[in-house]
Amino acid sequence: MKSPVFSQLRGAVGVLVRGGSIERLINELAGQGIEIWDLQPLPDGSMKMTMHVADFFRLRPLLRRTGCRVRVQHRSGLPFALLRLWGRKWFVFGFALFIAVIFSLSQLVWDIEVNGNVEIPEEDVLKIAREEGLYPFQWIFALPRQDKLSAELNRKLPGTSWVGVSRTGTRVSIQIVEATQPKEKKLMSPRHLISTADAVITYIYAEKGQPEVKKNDRVKKGQILISGFQGGGQVVSKGEVKGNVWHEYRIEVPLVRKQRVYTGEKKEQGYLYFGNTAIQLSGYGKTPFEHYQVMTEFNPLTWRSFKLPIGWMSEKVLETTELEIKLSKDKAIRDGIERAKRDIVAKNGADSVVLSQKILHEKTDNGKVYMKVLFEVEQNIAEELPIVHDQGE
Amino acid sequence: MSRFVRKIRKWTVDALDLPSDLVFDLPRLTLIGGKQLYIENHRGVVHFSPESLQLELSQGTLEVEGSGLVIREIMPQEVVIEGRIHGIKYRGMEES
Repeated sequence: MKSPVFSQLRGAVGVLVRGGSIERLINELAGQGIEIWDLQPLPDGSMKMTMHVADFFRLRPLLRRTGCRVRVQHRSGLPFALLRLWGRKWFVFGFALFIAVIFSLSQLVWDIEVNGNVEIPEEDVLKIAREEGLYPFQWIFALPRQDKLSAELNRKLPGTSWVGVSRTGTRVSIQIVEATQPKEKKLMSPRHLISTADAVITYIYAEKGQPEVKKNDRVKKGQILISGFQGGGQVVSKGEVKGNVWHEYRIEVPLVRKQRVYTGEKKEQGYLYFGNTAIQLSGYGKTPFEHYQVMTEFNPLTWRSFKLPIGWMSEKVLETTELEIKLSKDKAIRDGIERAKRDIVAKNGADSVVLSQKILHEKTDNGKVYMKVLFEVEQNIAEELPIVHDQGE
Repeated sequence: MSRFVRKIRKWTVDALDLPSDLVFDLPRLTLIGGKQLYIENHRGVVHFSPESLQLELSQGTLEVEGSGLVIREIMPQEVVIEGRIHGIKYRGMEES
């Protein structure tokens, strides 16, 4: 039995046989083992049949013997397709070239990305990668093996603890894990620690340098607390010194406090705005309030995360009124001292502690309380003073 | 084929229950509906037209009648016929 696939590969011709004794021809063909199929007699005595191309050329002696004549009607199969293709050989050539170009372009490294570098510049990594034979427009098959490449990169790049090279398609990514370097110390010149204020020392701890004072010593402003001269050399003195300092405050507190409050009355105004231009659409009319505050709210048109310069602006006009709150004298004094304490903490550091306070003097005049208060504060009194070298005389 | 040989063969077929087409060189026909006909052991085409096909056999001839007959495939011993088959006739048999 014949297989249609193989007969198409070998190529088949459909022929029309006329005249002579066709039956004899068929018998001869079958006898010689020439495969013929789809024999179809026509009413005029001729016959259509199909055979392989190779067999067609063995037909001639048989035709002469049987007196038949033959005409090719149609051709099919691979040999004829190739023949037709040969007629368009430049098209075929171009197509093959296209495939070849696409294939070879996909065999190039197109992109190198460097990930995970913080300290090491990307240029350095790429430069060393180039030395190792990894650069854009390099053939992928010419690359060194990936484990070898990562080992070499790791060896040549200082400050890396691991380098990984991986390739997906035409993209090579270099993953870098940097080694953590110890922090560099800031360079400092030798210095003393001196006092910022007249104080009594309550606590002294010298991490570096020679302590010059003891606990409970009285110090003047500018006095050296921890000296930078130690053991014949100069050091950067470091330490913590706390002392009791007295601060004198003059405080005045009004007995009547004015406060603005909302009455609850409001008026709304709506605008449509384009860029810096706004058109009022609602809330016309004069504002009926004597004192008021305006709250403005913008609602721009947004598209995803972009804000368009067009939108709705609403203004709320809120009526306000001033309330007068009368304070008792005691409350005024307490408020004043509280304010002063906050000021001390703000000026002398958060670790300052107010140990005691003493109202030296107070008087009420013109609706205000005037007073003079002395605070005893334990605070940090150390301040750095660089040691200046004598330049000689 | 001599008479004696034929008798021996017939006896062998009967005794051993062999298929007679193998031994006597008789044709084997396989008809599928009225559409397709396989004929094995033919001896060549005598006449072929859309209405009839005459095949030579080892003894006598076989005529296939029908309309639109086509030989789908032909080999030295086998032939496959397609079309609307109306009748199959045997001619010129020496003995049944």
